[in-house]
Amino acid sequence: MLINSVIIILREVLEAALIVSVLMALCQILQISRRRLIPALMLGGLLAVLYAVNINTISMLFEGVGQEIVNTGLYLFIFGCLLVLIVAIGKRSANKTIVLAISGCIAAALVREGTESIIYLHGFWSDPGLMRSVIVGSFIGAGIGFSIGVFFYYLIVSLVPTNGLRFSIGVLILIGGGMISQAIQLLIQADIIPSQAPLWNSSAWINESSLIGQLLYALVGYEASPTPIQAACYALSIIIATTLAIKSLRSSRLNAQLLKA
Amino acid sequence: MRSLLVTLLITFHCSAMATPVVEIEIRNHLFFPSEFEIPAQTKVKLLITNQDPTAEEFESYELNREKVIPGKSKGVVFIGPLPPGEYPFFGEFYPKTAQGKILIK
Repeated sequence: MLINSVIIILREVLEAALIVSVLMALCQILQISRRRLIPALMLGGLLAVLYAVNINTISMLFEGVGQEIVNTGLYLFIFGCLLVLIVAIGKRSANKTIVLAISGCIAAALVREGTESIIYLHGFWSDPGLMRSVIVGSFIGAGIGFSIGVFFYYLIVSLVPTNGLRFSIGVLILIGGGMISQAIQLLIQADIIPSQAPLWNSSAWINESSLIGQLLYALVGYEASPTPIQAACYALSIIIATTLAIKSLRSSRLNAQLLKA
Repeated sequence: MRSLLVTLLITFHCSAMATPVVEIEIRNHLFFPSEFEIPAQTKVKLLITNQDPTAEEFESYELNREKVIPGKSKGVVFIGPLPPGEYPFFGEFYPKTAQGKILIK
């Protein structure tokens, strides 16, 4: 049970830690106080608890696919916030929009990843025998996930600000593509988008269940056997976000910052 | 005998237009039935009922499916159409016991 807890909690924490660490590093680069993100962290935590408490009701919505609909909404919301953030970075005096977009991403990511951890841990609450190993395993899993997040944060802030900015935006574009890919996957699972034969199957090289597979899943939305619709939407989201990012990075605001740096 | 029992356990509602439904139960962190057959190239609705008080996560890397089934609740997962083969699934929260396999023929 201990190893299983490590894996489950690591998986959830890793996904949230990666996006939060990149966004926090971005705040550091753009000289925005990270304290302004505290309400988003609190709101995300609170909404995750509310989601977990009401999971039975939410599950039964839309003829049993309520979870898929809500989670798709969260993924699309995160992608939307990432696009707003990318555009706002290129605009003058758009700090408020940047903070709002980052806050939206963080809150939604915490809801998405926090809910499952809460549901998982809650299941063992009434079983003191198993609870101990689950708690220990969860702490180890969360510790590894946070450590990777912290490593990522310092990796980005240690770069020259211009490179740090480019790198962060690059990672956010890939994370955004992953969000779209996961949203499509959920819509297929809910039978809203038709299921198709996979375009390829790379599970023999990188299995999704492996550590590398999980890391790539969190970072670039790695999917071993995507369907053509899923791959097309992933590619399209990356193209849209990259186009906006190139435009944004060429803008005057960035040039001004480069001169300052 | 076992396969006959499994076949009987599966409620395979199949009308001309509707998607066939396979009912799966989670009891004491085990899947019932843990193994069943479905026809190839057919879309199937899995109706998973969790009789345990604790949540379980239905997961399969081969099927590309992942869904939390809350305790004392139900969940729906659509699978297929798929080519023939063996598609294992498991309960992520209790993977030691909650194991199963879908045989697509």
